[in-house]
This record gives sequence, structure tokens and C-alpha cells, in this order.
Amino acid sequence: MIELLKKTPLNKVHHDLGARMADFAGWELPVWYTSILEEHKTVRSGAGMFDVSDMGRVWITGRKAGAFLDRVLTRPASRLEIGSCQLCLLCLEDGGILDDLLAYRLGTHRYLIVWNAGNIERKLGWLQHWAGSDPDIVIQDRTADTVMVAVQGPAVCRLPNLEGVCRLPRFGHTQTRIEKVEALAARTGYTGEDGFEIIGDAASASQLWESLIKQGAKPCGLGARDSLRLEAGMLLYGQDMDTSTNPFEAGLGWLVEMDNGDFIGKSALLEIKRQGIKRKHIGFQMTGQGIARSGYRIVKCGQEVGKVTSGSYAPTLDASIGFCYVPIELAFIGTDIEIMIRNKPVPAQVVNRQFYKKGA
Amino acid sequence: MAPKEYRYTPEHEWICPESNNKGKVGLADYAQSQLGDIVFLDLPATGTQVEQGQKMGEVESVKAVSDIFAPVSGQVVETNQTVIDEPGLVNKDPYGAGWLVKMELSKPPELDALMDSDKYDEFVAQLTENGSDQAGG
Repeated sequence: MIELLKKTPLNKVHHDLGARMADFAGWELPVWYTSILEEHKTVRSGAGMFDVSDMGRVWITGRKAGAFLDRVLTRPASRLEIGSCQLCLLCLEDGGILDDLLAYRLGTHRYLIVWNAGNIERKLGWLQHWAGSDPDIVIQDRTADTVMVAVQGPAVCRLPNLEGVCRLPRFGHTQTRIEKVEALAARTGYTGEDGFEIIGDAASASQLWESLIKQGAKPCGLGARDSLRLEAGMLLYGQDMDTSTNPFEAGLGWLVEMDNGDFIGKSALLEIKRQGIKRKHIGFQMTGQGIARSGYRIVKCGQEVGKVTSGSYAPTLDASIGFCYVPIELAFIGTDIEIMIRNKPVPAQVVNRQFYKKGA
Repeated sequence: MAPKEYRYTPEHEWICPESNNKGKVGLADYAQSQLGDIVFLDLPATGTQVEQGQKMGEVESVKAVSDIFAPVSGQVVETNQTVIDEPGLVNKDPYGAGWLVKMELSKPPELDALMDSDKYDEFVAQLTENGSDQAGG
């Protein structure tokens, strides 16, 4: 059976630009327009832009919206100031990660969450379950009637269109106009560079896109999105974490706030923290030749100790890098490990997970 | 369009026959365009003996990895060090500077069974029509 891929409001624009398209979490999206390496470089040195409309956008409103989010998220959303947003996790009762997301506070009782494209039904069901039939909690998935574009790179604030939003602090957001398009712009991103993520109506998608191109932003695909986030040490849900991993072993303990009231998963997470973690998500760099890819086995002293969760060639570093979980006793910078690349053990070394740091 | 004087395999290797039963081997334009930016090549050492269709190397792009198969039987007599140092040459000039190895053919008649450029162009046109693009997300 052929499963129909979902299309973003910019689908035709991508085809017209001659993009190489592929399936990502059920969405047809560009992998590259001209070249992953070029697009990667554009974001590190200029201004690139991505169609990230596959990410889910859900408005949570009503008198109890804040209290509800505080209950389901690992950081209290109601403590956010209006006009700001924060990264946090959605955890199951056992502490497993159901998703990582950005929670925005739009107004006193108005919030927006932006989460990953995968598992939408399950996640919406999870929210509905905890919201129950409370009329003071309204959950509205507006992914289909909105568009989301990420504009990323050190030159973003030189785009005349974006001058107005360049006053925003990191994780700040505001309602704005980009040329004639009404949009919500946040100073956020997934590349390790400065930038914005912009949400507008689906109907204005191509207008928004075209105006950004005209101002000098270059279209970039999923390929560069992946290599950029990997270099920047950012995890990808579904690869680097899922419901079978907890925030502490994923190195995301900083997204869990234990001192601010109860939330789902808290008691399990307190117990996990008390017992200590057994494995840890780490970054590695190949010292031998070859590229480690997701699923390849990690070997230490002849024994399999884990699997690569993300791996790629890193254009900025001109090196082969990746992430994996290893037993805690191997999770130290400098530890030698081996990656099985087509049945040959190739040496690699545990390194700082943030491979690339802006301006370093 | 694939160069006229070359021969092609269904796995998108090409061989350009030279004199003395030797020939340069490389990857066709379709292969490099499917793979995207090539960042690493694992090529057989000089002296390696291969049979037609046998795996003789690997090519890795940012997104994907693919095997390189011997288009004919014989011995590898030269590897292109320039392309090992700069794998992007396969993208830039797949039929020229991006050649991979030079082989000495042990069974020259094998060449006749490979596709000529007209047949190969037709073969690629069909693949494109069928929309067999398979890139990961």
C-alpha cells in the first residue's frame, strides 16, 4: 500500500526550485536544493532558510492552560513571561521522553507548543487524556493551516525583512509583519547559529518564502538541517531519544525542573536520578576512516556496547562525527571506542557532544 | 548525456576503454546526483584482482553510502589519488577528473555485454520516470 506523504504549504515551491524530495516523518520535504555541503556552509556563514512546517504547532488556551502545561511538561510554562519561550520535555509517567518541544507564552492564558513531526496522534492523545473534558483547557492543532520557516545563520539580521525582530533576545518572540505577511517570529533554531523561526498562515506561505529569498536567504534542505544540528550537539527525537530513554541519560537533565511543583513523570525521574544513570548519550569523532551512520554498532574490547543514534560527515569540522549511548563507565571524553562500519571495526573517540560552537 | 565511447553497468559504473586492454572506471552522473555531495571514497589498492560485478569499493556522501562494483574482471593498475583527496570531483566531473581507478581487463569481451551510451541513457530515463528516488530524511 502506498502511504500518501503529507505536503507542507511550500511543497510546490520546493518542486519548482528543483529540490530533491524525500519522506521525513511522513512529510514530503526537500533533502537538498543544490548541495548539502553548500547549504550547510550557507547557514554557518550567511543566511539559510528551511521549511520546517512538518513540526507540529498546537495552541493551548483557556483559563487553566498554564496549569495544564505545568502538569504535562518538565519545566513550568506558566512561569514564562509573555513574549518568551523555552525548551522542555514531554515525559511519560515512567520518565521516558515522549517528545522535546518549545513552549511559547503568547498571552495570559494563551500558549503555543511547537514539537516534532513524529507521533502526532499519540502526543495529541496524551495531551487530551490529561486535559480531560475541562472546558478551561482548549487544545488546537493548527499545523495544517499554518506554515513555519526557520531562517538561520550569522547574517540573518542583515536581511532587511528581519531588522524589526532583531531586537528580540534569544528565546524571545513577537507578532510581526514580514513584508506584508502577519507572522509570529521567535529567536530560536536548530542549527547552532543565530536565527528565527517564523510561523504564518498557510495561505501566505509562498509570499513569506519568496520575500525571504528576495532579501538574500538561501533555501536549505533536511540534509543540512541534520548535519547542522548534529555539529551543534542537538538531539533528534526518534533517533537520539524516544520513550525508552530518560532525560538524564540523554544529557537533557537541564530541561527537567524538580523544584517547581508536580508534573507527569516527576516521581519516576526523581527515582532515576537517585539510582543514577547506567548509560549516557555521548558525542564521538571517528579517528579512523569512514562515516558512522545511525544504527551502526559500537564496540569496546570486542563487545557490543551500543549503537550509533546519529552520525554524519561534519562539513564545518571536515570530520566524521556522531552520537551514541554507551555504558556510563565509557562516557568520558577521550575514551577510545570502535564503530562497526560494514563489519570492520573503525576507531573513534568520545569527545564533547557540542562539536561546533558558534564563534569558537 | 553519457559519453559515447564509454560502457555502463546497471549499477551506474562506467568504463572508458583505452588501448592495451586497459580502461578507466568511474561513477556515472546519475549515481553522483542520487548520492549528493560525496565526501569519502574507499578504493581498491593497486594490484587488487576483481571479478566482474564484485564489490571493489565504497562511496559515501553526506546522506548515503553505496558500493562500487567492478564493471569488468581484471586487475586494478592505478587508483586516482586526486579523487581520494577531493571526493567532490566525482560530483563536479563524474566522467572526467572524477575517475576512480584504472583497470587492466582480463576478459575484454565482457565489455560487449555492458550498455552503450544510448542504452544507458534510456535506462536512466526509465529510472527517473519510475521515480525511484530514495533518499533518507
